[in-house]
Amino acid sequence: MPTQDKVTSTPTTQTEKPSPILIQMGIFAAVLFVSSLISPLFPASFPVPTPVIGLVLLYVLLATRIVKLRNVEKFGDFMISLIAFLFVPSGIQLAANLDILKAEGVQIVLVTLIATIILLVVVAYTTALFIRIAKKVFHMNTDVNN
Amino acid sequence: MINLAVTPHMAVWGKWLGDAMGTNAAGASAGNAIFGIFLSLVVYLIGQWLFKIGKGFFLFQPLFVGMVLGIFILFLLAKAFGTTTATFYKSAYLPGGNIIFWFLNPATIAFAIPLYRRNDIVKRFWPVIILSLIVGLVISLFAIYGVAKLFHLNDVGIASMLPQAATTAIAMPIATAIGGNAAITAMACILNAVIIYALGDWLVKFFKVNSDPIGAGLGLGTAGHTVGSAKALQLGSIQGSMASIAVVVISIVVDVVVPPFASLMGLH
Repeated sequence: MPTQDKVTSTPTTQTEKPSPILIQMGIFAAVLFVSSLISPLFPASFPVPTPVIGLVLLYVLLATRIVKLRNVEKFGDFMISLIAFLFVPSGIQLAANLDILKAEGVQIVLVTLIATIILLVVVAYTTALFIRIAKKVFHMNTDVNN
Repeated sequence: MINLAVTPHMAVWGKWLGDAMGTNAAGASAGNAIFGIFLSLVVYLIGQWLFKIGKGFFLFQPLFVGMVLGIFILFLLAKAFGTTTATFYKSAYLPGGNIIFWFLNPATIAFAIPLYRRNDIVKRFWPVIILSLIVGLVISLFAIYGVAKLFHLNDVGIASMLPQAATTAIAMPIATAIGGNAAITAMACILNAVIIYALGDWLVKFFKVNSDPIGAGLGLGTAGHTVGSAKALQLGSIQGSMASIAVVVISIVVDVVVPPFASLMGLH
């Protein structure tokens, strides 16, 4: 396995076997561990939490081909498929804050609902506008295939 | 004979209940994680089942059902044991809930994978992506500020609403720094995810957001955090990749933009 890794400078993910799941988990744990060491280096006024650093770090490792998709893909896709379930404790956490909801609850929930829609629509439309500008003004090729 | 068999069990349950109600002596309530994990799974699976037999009715989204049902069950159990919901949540549910919650760490960094899969788009569009997120957030902040004023939120409430586009761990300290309530901000971040999860498909259709796949991805990642990214992945690989990059970049943009915006608005 290690010799094979050295040879493949341009990976063709389809043909290669995925790494064993414990190795994939080990890579995730290593990335998280290093990120947790980097996170406290940021000042309190500019917080960057561990998972955000971890996402960037794993992306950089993938982009530089130090880590290959087959090393992390299987476990990563599995974790992503669980994301809604993993949010259940966060949702239930609101049980501890029922007092806040009693005071100004309805307004806060309504403002949050509208804010969510604002963020979605404004960011999406702004992006669409900028992409159109990039195409018209800078003659950038903006065709994408999904 | 019966007594001998029953008493140890009662003792065990007594300890469990003591943990659950927070009445055991300090140090004794290391917490039983099994109840929290079990309850989380049961309410989520009930949600999945309801969603299936309800033919995808949006209020039956498993995460939403799980959250409402979970809180309701904790509320009932707290009533039954004569304690407050917050106390019962803390001592009975939290030990297990925290274990599941921890797995959001690897789940979040896992979004580097769909991001990297469409690295071609990232490489071509990164200036547009960053610019769109900055400008989009600033416009959104004015709109959110206006809506919050319209609903007569006080300054603490408004300040708590502004950082919600960032991931919770960033949004909370920013909220505190600009005079908001971190608990309300955390609640907003959670609600963002639940709302996008429940209404995302409908909102994407209604506002024709998906006419630009890059915009759809950035919007979903900004509004719904990692849950929005999971939604975006269902629309396509570009959307998923763009939502993943949005989760990171928008958090940094919130870090930089929200404090000056708050002082511009005279909040703190």
